[in-house]
Amino acid sequence: MEALLQPIINGVLLGGLYAVIALGMSIIFGIVKLVNLAHGDLMILSSYLSLVLVSWLGVSPLVSLFMIVPVMFFVGFFVQGVLLNRVLGKEMEPPLLVAFGLSVILQNILLLVFTPDARSLMSNLAVKTIPLGETLTLPVLSLVNFFGGFIVILAVYLLFRNTYLGRAIRAASDDEMSTRLMGVNTKRIYAHAMGIAMMTAAVAGVLVGMTFTFYPHTGPQFLIISFGVIIIGGLGSMKGCLAGGLILALAQTLGAHFIGTGYQLLFGYGVLLVVLGIRPQGLFGKI
Amino acid sequence: MDLKNAMLKYRWLILVLFFVALVTVPIWGPDYILLFCLFFCLYLALAQMWNLLVGFSGLLSLGQQAFIGFSGYTVAVLTDYYSVNIWISVIIGGFLSVLLALVMSLFIFRMKGIYFAIGTWIFAEMLLLWFSNWKYVKYGTGMFIKPEPPPCMTTIYYSSLIMAIGGLVLLYFILRSKIGLGLMAMRDDEEVSETIGIELFRSKLFCFLVAAFMTGLTAGVLYIFQIYIQPYRAFGIDWTIILLFIVVIGGIGTVEGPIVGAFVYVLLSQWLGEYASISLLLTGIIAITIILVAPKGIMGTIHEKTGFVILSPRRT
Repeated sequence: MEALLQPIINGVLLGGLYAVIALGMSIIFGIVKLVNLAHGDLMILSSYLSLVLVSWLGVSPLVSLFMIVPVMFFVGFFVQGVLLNRVLGKEMEPPLLVAFGLSVILQNILLLVFTPDARSLMSNLAVKTIPLGETLTLPVLSLVNFFGGFIVILAVYLLFRNTYLGRAIRAASDDEMSTRLMGVNTKRIYAHAMGIAMMTAAVAGVLVGMTFTFYPHTGPQFLIISFGVIIIGGLGSMKGCLAGGLILALAQTLGAHFIGTGYQLLFGYGVLLVVLGIRPQGLFGKI
Repeated sequence: MDLKNAMLKYRWLILVLFFVALVTVPIWGPDYILLFCLFFCLYLALAQMWNLLVGFSGLLSLGQQAFIGFSGYTVAVLTDYYSVNIWISVIIGGFLSVLLALVMSLFIFRMKGIYFAIGTWIFAEMLLLWFSNWKYVKYGTGMFIKPEPPPCMTTIYYSSLIMAIGGLVLLYFILRSKIGLGLMAMRDDEEVSETIGIELFRSKLFCFLVAAFMTGLTAGVLYIFQIYIQPYRAFGIDWTIILLFIVVIGGIGTVEGPIVGAFVYVLLSQWLGEYASISLLLTGIIAITIILVAPKGIMGTIHEKTGFVILSPRRT
């Protein structure tokens, strides 16, 4: 029983991290109806930004968040305001191309600046564990990931529920035309939404950088994880994001436990296809 | 207007000249032009099939690399382990791609729009993970394709030319047929076209299978040329990014678009081949710039402004 408990604990904790990775993409899909294929790369960009701050100032990666989160807001605002807003329309392909183009550009700039070496954000959290019983342990870093993710999701939820900007964002996502008639500049609202999404991506990037190693081409891996999470949970739903993160992460850790680590991702996607087969719109998705 | 009429009058001449130039390249062209034309033909065939899916059938697939990798591995396994003739194994690769497409369709044809897109990508990603963990295909280290006897460059070039012309002709006739009319009605408005009696599911599945077949064949030829196959490249999303670039830059939903797009792409990648990361960087910047200036792509915009079209999908 204890042997099974460890992958379950790891899965739940990893689920929180997966949820925050996917959150930004889910927000943008729900509001702008856009699949941001550069999400993973923008997230890795913030991992690298944090790396720069950590090595320059010698601060902890978590402290570097105070600078990276605002910077990423402006990055998101710029990406949406200058690039993506111009190609939004009836067809789906031009925004996809712009996002893919952005992803390719980011990857190669990171490659030129930081070389293809694997990096990670060092902190003293990585080695600490809390023992629970004889064989069970609770890595402190995973706990930080889980609660970090939870706090971010809660913050975004409260922001959307209680502020004018949040109401405007939700209105624009429900009915763009009526919102414009009410005097809201929806394009500007979209840019704000992307800014918020990138703030969550900044947190995700730093947490990912502390947990895994990363290199300039890691972005798409996390993009696919985000896909998995929001497809299981339902595109554009925050509840779904959390549920999807937990399900995907549990499927992976349990898959690794029963079949072998090589197949853990494969097992995760298998669960994903089963969910899609039963409920094509995801657990909490609207059609 | 005169220019347009002249162009219309000579459009077959333009096509024939283009065709003759491509056919005779091995005779007059130096090696690097032959190589250029080889890549041009292969990318054109792949992109044209993606165009059939996305531009005409409304099936946004981000998983064409599933067929590319699957067919490439089929060729590698058949020639390496079973010493099958190289061209027979390419054809088997094409048919196995159709089989794979049938299996995929069981899952992903229940989804629509962006779900379909992500579903196809995840399918390709699953194949990547499976092949990189599979001992039979030597895990992630990849396989060498050793045909006996090794085909010469001219043979490979002509087979790639057959793929490009075959893809073009196939697309043209599909679009001019009853299925093509139905497809375009479906792309423009799914519900209305279903109401007037177009069999959505069958037409979409037909296109999906045709595209899988041609993509598989082309990938077989591509890997005969490349000699080496490795799961992370073969099943990588980079393939779809390239196809998206070619088709959207050229003009999505036009027959000529991918021709122009493939030319631009191969030119860029060959020209800047020595500086791989700068080449990709520039490709990204050019893609974004063109799409911001001309959202319909190069040929789409020319068509809109002047009405010039070489191969119209519409019946006249």
